[in-house]
Amino acid sequence: MTPDGRPFRRVLIANRGEIAVRIIRACRELGIETVAVFSDADRHAGHVRAADRAIRIGPAAAAESYLAIDAILGAALESGADAVHPGYGFLAERPAFAAAVESAGLVFVGPDSRTIAAVGDKLAARRLARSVGVPVVPGTLEPASVKDVEQLAAVVAAADQTGYPLLVKATAGGGGRGMRRVAGRDDLQAALAAAAAEAQAAFGDGAVYLEREIRPARHIEVQLFGDAAGRVVAIGERDCSIQRRHQKLIEEAPAPGLSERNRAELHELATRVAVAAGLRNAATAEFLFDRDGAFWFLEVNARLQVEHGVTELVSGVDIVHEQLWLAAGAPLSAAALAAAERANRPAGHAIEVRISLEDPARSFRPLAGRVGRFALAAGPGIRVDTAIEAGERIPPDYDPLIAKLLVHAPDRAGAIERLARALDETEIGGVQTTLPFHRFVAGNAAFRAGHLSTDFVADHWNGPASRAEAVRRALLAAGLAAFEPEPADGHPRGPDEGAPAQQGGTSTPGTMELQSAWRSDGRATATDRWPR
Amino acid sequence: MTGRGAVRVRPIQVGGEPEDGGLVVDPDDTGARVEWLDREHAILAEEPSAGARPVSVRTRLMIGPARRRPDDGVMVREVVVDGWRVEVEVEAEGRAVLRDRVRRGLPARGSSGTIEIRADLPGRVSSLLVGPGDHVVAGQPLVVIEAMKMLNELRAPRDGQVERAAVQVNQAVELGDLLVVLQ
Repeated sequence: MTPDGRPFRRVLIANRGEIAVRIIRACRELGIETVAVFSDADRHAGHVRAADRAIRIGPAAAAESYLAIDAILGAALESGADAVHPGYGFLAERPAFAAAVESAGLVFVGPDSRTIAAVGDKLAARRLARSVGVPVVPGTLEPASVKDVEQLAAVVAAADQTGYPLLVKATAGGGGRGMRRVAGRDDLQAALAAAAAEAQAAFGDGAVYLEREIRPARHIEVQLFGDAAGRVVAIGERDCSIQRRHQKLIEEAPAPGLSERNRAELHELATRVAVAAGLRNAATAEFLFDRDGAFWFLEVNARLQVEHGVTELVSGVDIVHEQLWLAAGAPLSAAALAAAERANRPAGHAIEVRISLEDPARSFRPLAGRVGRFALAAGPGIRVDTAIEAGERIPPDYDPLIAKLLVHAPDRAGAIERLARALDETEIGGVQTTLPFHRFVAGNAAFRAGHLSTDFVADHWNGPASRAEAVRRALLAAGLAAFEPEPADGHPRGPDEGAPAQQGGTSTPGTMELQSAWRSDGRATATDRWPR
Repeated sequence: MTGRGAVRVRPIQVGGEPEDGGLVVDPDDTGARVEWLDREHAILAEEPSAGARPVSVRTRLMIGPARRRPDDGVMVREVVVDGWRVEVEVEAEGRAVLRDRVRRGLPARGSSGTIEIRADLPGRVSSLLVGPGDHVVAGQPLVVIEAMKMLNELRAPRDGQVERAAVQVNQAVELGDLLVVLQ
């Protein structure tokens, strides 16, 4: 802590994009100077503009920039930073990075390198959880090399014991890479070989393990904090079930439909794992929640999560502030302790949608390109975390996430209405984003009813059909627009200009108003009320 | 566009090529109209139609400014509907028919018998699996493009011989960039 009561004097943010801006904002609020790092692809990026100072660390390829420990550490030392915040992704969960920061005499804003190592190895985390009596998804607990005949035989035997269907997972994996589903015994050998090969290629480590497939399931995770005195608290949970390719699309807090007892149990299990891992700072414990109401431990993420904002909105705790104070050696804040007290009886509801450059009609394939129009939602209960502006080029080298839209309301139904409204206000041109999917979800009956599951996308979303209908309307509109000269100025036509507004008032019985027509409908209604 | 008459509207695909078919729009015969809200937004109002649409439907869209494509003067613009972004070309129907005839009369783009393999996503060439003179069979991987840490293989659409590779390993490619030419 600095003599004048700030956690740090100067913090280097070893990340980019919206999360770097998020951390810079927290630092500014706490009176901390900020140092950004950037690759050649990010010379003019938002996080560079937002920081007090920015240092180039290498070429576009992440391996030579945002993953280059020496370059980042060099920038930290050269800039005189006293702490390094890793954000999420990139180096956030590399024990070697945390250790390098620590041994350079700087503070790593996150769990210490031993905790990261202990939980970063998914199998070690499974063993740790089991050692303290936390139910882990049934399967194997030791890494197995498929190339070793004895280990292979042991895995095959373990598979029969675990039961099918099961998942083969890469020990070093994440984000669904190196993962295969095995429906029955006949598919096991091929799946093992494929998963091992993919893991070897992606992570340089072909070791795999088994987990029973729990399905249908919800993905629920718990936000945890620990301080230097060894005190650990859970401040609430998030439901992140809506995923594609094992990557989250929509998150909400609290998890809908849990009872106070469910929450108490979940938060206690998570806290137990975190205590066993010696958690200092912030982390998240992930669980599967099955149809019978049981929680199964999956893994611990020893870092800030992408979706941390929904917990901030519901708990009232600024998680990045808390991280910085904890890293500076402060005890858990009064706000965090109070939030932990209330965590089983949360008030309010928050939902986040991740707006990414992806094609929702083609399996959410990542895209890159130049953003054109970029109009974001605002108003009551809205928070947008982004680092980009209209006209900005999104490089293909990094995560395609461009903005997180978060909404907050007193209850879930209100939050969903607010989300629908916010999505109507959000307009992005120049590139295809995940917005069509988010708009679909906001209006989907199953989502509104809280029927969440990790199969939601597969069960409900038909991207090609949705796009085909949009293309039909786009073609029709563009064709008709060729005959209908657009208004000369940028202002909406006033009601006295006649035709459009009056035509817009055709709310005769049997008329269906699409959500996307709400603005004109509202205007027409207003026009009708206007004294003429 | 002056005078009434039909126009043909086609979505523009990856790589800048229009999709086949598209939609012929005759403003007097569609049962739909466009009402501008401001310079960039309009309502598409569709009347009820037998079967498909029992009630009238109003859709708010963003319609970008119309531009003339420099090489052929065709009007192109961006339309965003319910979050879907569609780039379209709009052309008088008579002219579209003429242009189609010209296009069909010519040999396939890239001269007779060759096939151009183009990037269908932006990224970096992570490996080039074939070289000039190689014989390839349909489905054989030609190029691997890395985007967002994922490897995407581009495969030969049919048997052939590699005429040339237009990229090198590690080169950044944009959507629609030429990668490999097959004979």
